[in-house]
Amino acid sequence: MIFTPQAALKKSRMDWTLFISILLLLTIGTVAVISSVVVLPHQAKIVRTHFIALPLALIAFSAVWSLNYQVFQDQWKFVYGLTLMSLAAVLLFGVADKGARSWFHLPFFSVQPSEFARIGLILVLANYLDKRIVKIREFSVVLGAFLLALPVFFLLIKQPDFSAILITLPIILIMLFAAGANISHLAIIFGYSFISGLFPVLWTLINMNPELLGNPFVNYFFHLSDFSWNALFFLAGTGLAAYLLWVLSVQLYSKISGVFFAGAAMVISFGFLSGIMVQHQMKEYQQKRLEVFLSPESDPRGAGYNLLQARVAIGSGGILGRGIFSGTQSRLGFVPERHTDFILAVIGEEMGFWGTMLVAGLYVLLLRRIMLTAKLARDRFGYLVGCGIFGMFMVYFFINFGMLLGLIPVAGVPLPLLSYGGSNMVATLTAMGIMQSIYARRYALV
Amino acid sequence: MIDRHISQERLNYLWILAYAAALVFLLRLINLQVLMASHYREIADKNRTQIIAQVAPRGRIFTSDDIAVATNKPSFSLIYFPGQLKTNSETDALASGLARQLALPYEALRNTLFKSARMGTPMRLAENISSKNMLSLSELKSIYPGVDIIVEARRFYPFGAYLSHLIGYIGKMDPREWSQRGKDKNYSMDSRVGKTGLEKMYETELKGLDGGIYLEVDSRGRLSRRLESREWASGADIYLTINSKAQMAAEEGLAASATGKGAVVALDPRSGAVLALVSMPDYDPNIFVAYQEDRDQEKLKNLPEFNVALQGTYPPASPFKIITSAALLETGKVSVDETFNCPGYYDAGSRKFKCWEKKGHGKMDFLHGLAHSCDVYYYNAALRVGPLNIEKKARQFRLGLPTGISLPDEKSGNVFGPSQRAAKKSYWFIGDTLNLAIGQGETLVTPIQTALVIAAVANGGIFHRPYYVNKIVNREGVALYRGRVEELSRLNFKDSTWDLLRQGLRQVVDEGTGQAAKTSGIDVYGKTGTAQNPQGKDHAWFVAYAALPGQPAEVAVSVLVEHGEHGASAAAPIAKMVIEALFKNKLPSKAYMAPAPSVKLGTAVPAGLAPEAGKV
Repeated sequence: MIFTPQAALKKSRMDWTLFISILLLLTIGTVAVISSVVVLPHQAKIVRTHFIALPLALIAFSAVWSLNYQVFQDQWKFVYGLTLMSLAAVLLFGVADKGARSWFHLPFFSVQPSEFARIGLILVLANYLDKRIVKIREFSVVLGAFLLALPVFFLLIKQPDFSAILITLPIILIMLFAAGANISHLAIIFGYSFISGLFPVLWTLINMNPELLGNPFVNYFFHLSDFSWNALFFLAGTGLAAYLLWVLSVQLYSKISGVFFAGAAMVISFGFLSGIMVQHQMKEYQQKRLEVFLSPESDPRGAGYNLLQARVAIGSGGILGRGIFSGTQSRLGFVPERHTDFILAVIGEEMGFWGTMLVAGLYVLLLRRIMLTAKLARDRFGYLVGCGIFGMFMVYFFINFGMLLGLIPVAGVPLPLLSYGGSNMVATLTAMGIMQSIYARRYALV
Repeated sequence: MIDRHISQERLNYLWILAYAAALVFLLRLINLQVLMASHYREIADKNRTQIIAQVAPRGRIFTSDDIAVATNKPSFSLIYFPGQLKTNSETDALASGLARQLALPYEALRNTLFKSARMGTPMRLAENISSKNMLSLSELKSIYPGVDIIVEARRFYPFGAYLSHLIGYIGKMDPREWSQRGKDKNYSMDSRVGKTGLEKMYETELKGLDGGIYLEVDSRGRLSRRLESREWASGADIYLTINSKAQMAAEEGLAASATGKGAVVALDPRSGAVLALVSMPDYDPNIFVAYQEDRDQEKLKNLPEFNVALQGTYPPASPFKIITSAALLETGKVSVDETFNCPGYYDAGSRKFKCWEKKGHGKMDFLHGLAHSCDVYYYNAALRVGPLNIEKKARQFRLGLPTGISLPDEKSGNVFGPSQRAAKKSYWFIGDTLNLAIGQGETLVTPIQTALVIAAVANGGIFHRPYYVNKIVNREGVALYRGRVEELSRLNFKDSTWDLLRQGLRQVVDEGTGQAAKTSGIDVYGKTGTAQNPQGKDHAWFVAYAALPGQPAEVAVSVLVEHGEHGASAAAPIAKMVIEALFKNKLPSKAYMAPAPSVKLGTAVPAGLAPEAGKV
């Protein structure tokens, strides 16, 4: 089918392909969730919550669909305020689970506001970028976008909900990219985040292999994390090195601007400082996850065990799978978090290659529909919102599949529409509702 | 949307990125779920199944007269599979029922039951239950589900140290053995394997196929359900050529001798089949069956694994005179009737060589010289025959060569003579000739080599490779292996040489030094010997063969009693006991060889478990 505006004219206000894909994924997810929890002692509660969340999510989908999405742009202050308030409220009134204060307990279920905050942030950012699209190639706009997101990140760190940050940060980059931001500005942001992530990774690596400390350079580097005078010397050294390089480049009549050197020094310095902050903020289980990333199969019973068992589960499914309700890896508890983050392992084991292929295919189809809908949007705001939601799904898809297939480390990220988790499901279908709303109000129907 | 401020190009890039990632995932999925599926399936199955191994009974070992010398003993254990008893009162009832039956403390049983239920692991309630208790327990089994009786096959050697040097013993694998056997799924870390002797040599045949109860467990090792039981298949039985009575007589005789140390080898001269093989000191292989590292370390360290019969080398002494005689008769340089005078010594000029009889034997011809083992006669004869001829004959009698019996670390002994000296670029003296003639000096032989020498005399010069496995039969009754007669070499001596040698050896027993071996109704031919030992008391030798009158010889025996001093008194009676056991079924005093009812495992009782403490 060629998706042209002419063809779109004849089409309904409902994107049936998207809707049916969503329903299919929800069905597969429901079967997998039930299959994986049926042997658990508290299975009744999980199944009940799942079936409460399903209609709620569909209601949210329909409600947002019927709502003109442009209202979110008009009322962006309200959306932003609600987002920040819900995140602040959960810190005050929420309950802690697994070391993170991210839940509101309600009579029948719990709500995780960070799931909704992500959608809120996408809407607010879309509005921000829409307003400043003329100046998008200026760095101030990029910085402004991050300043807008900063309170959200601050509140997420306070919980702390690192996996939410892990999902949200790339979404902002993707939205800026889609809006047409200067690639070099994005590179600065990316470099900064990369360095602030790289330093803790290197420190953890040294921590895991203490014999490396014998090397004086490594030893010096390791002690940078203490934030003593050494760290200040390092900062000064970075600045000096950048200055000397600039002088050298001038002597060589090179055309490289001095801003480049200053920028690089700034990126390294700020990345380093944030790295120290991240290092000191990391909780023990997060440290553990980082260690697994660095040597996943070193200790099969220890940290790498989960990754390995998930891969065994998927692999043992073979082409046809072991049959629904018959996966031994997941049912006997070898796969952890089987109904949430590791749901793909259950699908892979019980439904086999065809199951995983179907899920991956539906995800690609979903992404394609989101992309096409964004392109059809009647205004720039709709387009930018579509890009943000596209980015969100892409990040989920990359991280969860990559993790389950052993390509990237365990990050505790669910697979939307499949994993158990009411808040995530409602939030995801809200996002889908927004996409439907954009589709229904596409310019061709004006 | 048409907007001059924004290009949709970048969303296309993102879409291409997502699409590419999907392709990577697809390739990875094909790798995991299609190409490597069986590998991961295997890991998954290994994850979830726990096997309670039922060690298959090892193949039994029988003597030629069907007496089991290595067998298996069933050892019954009571095991409890949790999850089938629900209420506390039921558990209490089971505990009290078991306590009554097993005469075990109620509290301890109850605790074990609850612990087992709490942890969800099958547990062993009692071990080594007597078969009397077992019958009433099998009733209990039908009343209370979850209780099961299992049997473990334990190696058992009914006669203790009997034949231990041939049978060997079993034990836990050391790391090197584990690296060899570990790949074989039939072996687990605590499997017992043969460490020496037959147990080691025929490990593959004896092992059998282990059975097992397959359990499905969850990630914490808790029992989720029983999958299946696999029956074991016992190993192949080995039938030896050993004659239990001859072996018995030899062991009894050697044990009762002056020092109780030495070796006895009895062969069938017609085939080379080993009829008895004794080496003392010996050991009881049963101690290793229930071997515990901390407890039995000392025993293992001092284990007398040295097999005197094929690893001990001694001067052959007078039995060597058989070879000297053969040289004498074959060369014809000394006529049979020619006499030499024995004054009790031989004057070799620089030194006087004594005869063992200090008074002297007087005039000696060949037959008397052999019968009375007169050293002086052989000194004179050897000088006439020449040392080279004697050395040649010693080599023809295969001294200095291992017999090739399939037992590890056999020694070859040593032959000395002029050619060997020449090879070493050393001199030969007249005294060497005299020492060579009477089997002293540098000649060294093992008891099994002398047995081969005397067997060759009995059968007219044929050397067979000694063998002791008659056949190996698997449980379907198919012979996997049959022992076969293998001729090593043959001596082409004149008939008169054999006749005269035999005549002389007959006289040794009838009227000479070997009269202690004389027995009525059987023709015994033998030669005594006393090997000089500078370190202590002399070693006693006796080699003999025996036949019914007019029949071919049926047994050749070689007896060595370490520090037994005189072959005539220490060694000859043992040979006589062996011969009488074979020909007259006469057993020495303690007849402990009543064939024990050999227990057949694997058919009557279906299940058995490997013995491991607590958690199985």
